[in-house]
Amino acid sequence: MQEPSIPDIIQLIPLKSYLILSTALFVIGILGVLIRRNAIVIFMSVELMLNSVNLLLIAFSSYKSDPSAQVFVFFIMAVAAAEVAVGLAIIVMIYRNTRTIDIGFLNKLKG
Amino acid sequence: MPVTLLVLIPLLPLIGFLINGIGFRHIPKGAVGLIGSLAALGSFAASVAVLLAFKEGGSQPMIVSLFDWIKVGELNIPFSFQVDQLSLLMLMIITGVGSLIHIYSIGYMKHDPGFGKFFSFLNLFLFFMLLLVLGSNYVIMFIGWEGVGLCSYLLIGFWNKNTDFNNAARKAFIMNRIGDLGFLLGIFTIIHAFGSVEYTEVFRQATGLPVGDHVVFAITMLLFVGAMGKSAQIPLYTWLPDAMAGPTPVSALIHAATMVTAGIYMVIRSNVLYTLAPETLEIVAVVGAVTAIFAASIGLLQNDIKKVLAYSTVSQLGYMFLGLGVMAYSASMFHVITHAFFKALLFLGAGSVIHAMSDEQDIRFMGGLRKKLPITFITFAVATWAIAGLPPFAGFFSKDEILAHAFEHNKLLWGIGVLGSALTSFYMFRLLFLTFFGSFRGTHEQEHHLHESPAAMTIPLVILALLSAVGGFIGVPEALGGTHQLAEFMSPLFDTARQVNPEAFAATALTHSEEWILMAVSVAVALIAAVIAYVMYISRSAVPAPESEARTGVENVVYHKYYIDELYDTVFVKPMKSLSGVLSSFGEFVIDLFVEGTGKLVKGLSNLGRQTQTGSIGYYVFAMVVGIVVILFWNLLLN
Amino acid sequence: MYPIILLSFLGIVVLFLGFAKSKAILLPATLLFLAVALVGNFVEWNQGTIIYFYNMLAVNNLTLAFNGIVLVSAFMIVAMTRGFQDDDEAQPAEYYAIMLFSLVGAFMMIGFENLIMLFLGLEILSVAMYVLTGSDKRNLRSNEAALKYFLMGAFATGILLFGIALLYGATGSFTLTGIQAYIGQGNPSYLLYGGLLLVLIGMLFKVSAAPFHFWTPDVYEGAPTIFTAFMATIVKTAGFAALFRLLSHSFTGIYDYWWITLAVITVLTLLVGNIIAVYQDSFKRMLAYSSISHAGYLLIALTAMTPQTENSILFYSMAYSVATICAFGVLIPLAREKAMTGKPRETYEAFNGLARNNPLLAFVLTVSMLSLAGIPLTAGFWGKFFVFGSAAERGIIWLLVVAILMSAVGIYYYFRVIMAAYMKEGDTAEIRVAPFYKIVLVTATIITLLFGIAPGLFTGLV
Repeated sequence: MQEPSIPDIIQLIPLKSYLILSTALFVIGILGVLIRRNAIVIFMSVELMLNSVNLLLIAFSSYKSDPSAQVFVFFIMAVAAAEVAVGLAIIVMIYRNTRTIDIGFLNKLKG
Repeated sequence: MPVTLLVLIPLLPLIGFLINGIGFRHIPKGAVGLIGSLAALGSFAASVAVLLAFKEGGSQPMIVSLFDWIKVGELNIPFSFQVDQLSLLMLMIITGVGSLIHIYSIGYMKHDPGFGKFFSFLNLFLFFMLLLVLGSNYVIMFIGWEGVGLCSYLLIGFWNKNTDFNNAARKAFIMNRIGDLGFLLGIFTIIHAFGSVEYTEVFRQATGLPVGDHVVFAITMLLFVGAMGKSAQIPLYTWLPDAMAGPTPVSALIHAATMVTAGIYMVIRSNVLYTLAPETLEIVAVVGAVTAIFAASIGLLQNDIKKVLAYSTVSQLGYMFLGLGVMAYSASMFHVITHAFFKALLFLGAGSVIHAMSDEQDIRFMGGLRKKLPITFITFAVATWAIAGLPPFAGFFSKDEILAHAFEHNKLLWGIGVLGSALTSFYMFRLLFLTFFGSFRGTHEQEHHLHESPAAMTIPLVILALLSAVGGFIGVPEALGGTHQLAEFMSPLFDTARQVNPEAFAATALTHSEEWILMAVSVAVALIAAVIAYVMYISRSAVPAPESEARTGVENVVYHKYYIDELYDTVFVKPMKSLSGVLSSFGEFVIDLFVEGTGKLVKGLSNLGRQTQTGSIGYYVFAMVVGIVVILFWNLLLN
Repeated sequence: MYPIILLSFLGIVVLFLGFAKSKAILLPATLLFLAVALVGNFVEWNQGTIIYFYNMLAVNNLTLAFNGIVLVSAFMIVAMTRGFQDDDEAQPAEYYAIMLFSLVGAFMMIGFENLIMLFLGLEILSVAMYVLTGSDKRNLRSNEAALKYFLMGAFATGILLFGIALLYGATGSFTLTGIQAYIGQGNPSYLLYGGLLLVLIGMLFKVSAAPFHFWTPDVYEGAPTIFTAFMATIVKTAGFAALFRLLSHSFTGIYDYWWITLAVITVLTLLVGNIIAVYQDSFKRMLAYSSISHAGYLLIALTAMTPQTENSILFYSMAYSVATICAFGVLIPLAREKAMTGKPRETYEAFNGLARNNPLLAFVLTVSMLSLAGIPLTAGFWGKFFVFGSAAERGIIWLLVVAILMSAVGIYYYFRVIMAAYMKEGDTAEIRVAPFYKIVLVTATIITLLFGIAPGLFTGLV
């Protein structure tokens, strides 16, 4: 018996389920950003949001038999890495100056 | 027609502005005044030449296209000037009176440190005003409109250093913005409805519309809101009396002779649209009549010489709008012209008095000035006679024509107009008597200082006095055996309007004897008011009560004389005073409250809005998420 | 096309120039590179629409014009960065390089044909801006601004990406034409609507439309002024060019669906920007709110989406960018010279007596404020006129009423600065400005006045 191809395996699960799963992950990411006060955890939640998008794109790509979305996923991953580099640098900079990464303390600019 | 000549008209003041504006630190005072005045005079000369060329060429209106200005899609706005009867008349007023006021300012502002700045602003004002009346489309008119507004604030605030956006300029500013809002919306509605802003094109298309069309009604109402702001009509008038904080020549030029008549110009320019909207005209007439009497009644008891004149200006503008409302377009224009003469004269005369009195503006401290300032006195008296509507001076003819049309249209409006003219006559003669008759009530230093103004100031006064005296003869009604040259001259302007609504232009139904009666009534009323003023302020030498308790001996006597005359007081003064008081407090107070309130409201909202910016990231993200949820919910589930 | 390649390469060259002993060469080199890119940009002028890289990028006169605005703005802003070298800590080469790289992102957003390019361009621009915002490393305000910008920007990117994924799910394509073709078939699915809304939200965040504007005032205030100017002009221009491209190329078919949402956001943006600006004491913060309000005016043109919209947005972006650069350009020397306690003075009081102190700066400031306020004979007036005209053409009168009312409110806070400069007395410490700096400011002022007097010169170009 021939091994089933990966797209076939992906398509064992209905598209709707992927949609629901990635939306759920996305919403969890949003909630994380909303609730957590630690800058790094917020940042991780944003990453979760990005990855839920990746999942969704892969699912669509597979169902439409169109590779362009997979290319897009690579771009998202690369850009996310760049963002991480800059983001962590900013967080480190803040930690050096204030000895905290709790966003609750960052409200000097307002009004 | 020589195009260069036409271009020179607005260009000369602009050049004057640039020279004086850039180099006012380096150019000596004499040269500054000379450059500024020459720019105005040159512009006047060019205007006269254009007028002559226009008459020679058979009085054909023409559009001089200077260059292609803007082309955005369907909308094409050329930069072009329209030369016709209306723009020529306005040109003559603006450059003519403007030149005189420039010359006058050389004397009046001589000791002011901001001399150069003053002249450059004045030139800039002329430039924008000329643009306003010369443009062949609403966009150019709007640019001029905003430009004169800007110059007006600059000049109102001219003497107010170090105050935070001083009150008068701010009020002028807010009220004019409300007006501009109307004007702008009107322009955009015109674009929406006609796809063009060129007068000729808009009016050509408008002729196809029925009388009472809704869109035209909307457009005319919006434009009228603009006119109300600029021409100080109820409820947007309180800025004009406050604008008197500026130097007196500015009050004469901007706040009496030219800028404030821009609203009337706009309505006459759009006469085709207004003729198509009888409802708007009705509103215009009522607003004009109410403003005329309202402002006149407030003017009755003002003690600041410039404030009296300011309220008088508001009231006279009301007459002009009354004239527009009853479709007496050329009569209104006539009044614009005569008013420019006598009101500029009054303001310049007041300036001469203030100059002599070392910046005192309160008429309670004047009196008996006729001996010390003979020229100012005579010219001021001529102007008073003219504005009171007494024959044979200019105001009589123009005001009577408006009133005659009002009579035909609606007797009540006529009644209000006549009453207003009685009040006008009263407060103007009161002003004249208190200022120039009786004995001097100021301090000794002031008395010592009293002098007639220099020639630079008196010559413009004399010229304007001559014009105020004979200016009315360009429009002698047929009933008096004359020919109405002005009406004939302006007649082609209304051809299109006549075509769209012929009934509205039906020939006058009044017989000559009826006209005579009307004239007699208004003259009689004005005369009676003048006599009352004479009795009150000369025979009885009554002086309005000063506000402070401390009085000099002379004042005390005068004051008591006024006070003991109780009978007279209760019969005549008190009702008038309370009327004036009620009107001014109820009207002005409420309006100002509204204006101030709007400012406060915006500030309050601003403070409230500012507090939403808490500085916390969590809160910002929360607001964003709420926004996202609302947008998604609304669009995906509710639609 | 060429400026993308040129600046990617030249940015690296600038990085290497940083190794040179003298830092003095960096500024002229960067300016030269920008000029080269500007020339390169207009090589393709008037050649119709050219598609590059297998449907990834498009070039036509409109995108070139937007590129031109971005490049000229960048040129002016870079020219104002002379203060950089004075600071021992600073690494000017990095900053210049990052600015050049960020422009590449802006070009990609302006000319994107595929949503991948939109995303990449947006990220290149944004990540660069995060770095620049936090470039004043020791300054807590700068730090805070950077973190706020970064966290919220990353969050918005997530939203945008989810939207793109949904659009792809609905249409099976990332290209503008593909999406348009899908809508042309009729009966679009829910995924498309959801995707469109999320993408819109992500983009609206970048152009700081309410209620996604909260980051703007804080970030603008905290960032070093020169980079605030960069953000206020270049990011906004690129953001609107991208939004316009997205909506006009793909979604005109379902205009009835999205215009109401956009109109409501527009009104909200106008209200928030103009009204809150009234209460500000800091000039810099006022400009931040002013930039929100200008986003509102630009959104009017997008909401109307008439054939004139592209011209309106182009003209408005130009007028706004030039005037904003002038405003920040006046603020920079003023805040530096008047710094007393280490914290730069950016309040209105800093402008007191400017007219006496430095008439040129006062004049530049006046013209730029008049232009931002939309007073005739400045470019800003025509920007507003065109924008309002497109709303009138569409017949959205209520939006017009709000916009005109709010522009009246706007005059209040813009004139406050002019009043401070001309009417009030201030200290007389002389404010010195380098000649080169003056040339930039005067040029920008001349542009504002020139296009204010003859807007046809600009609108006739495209």
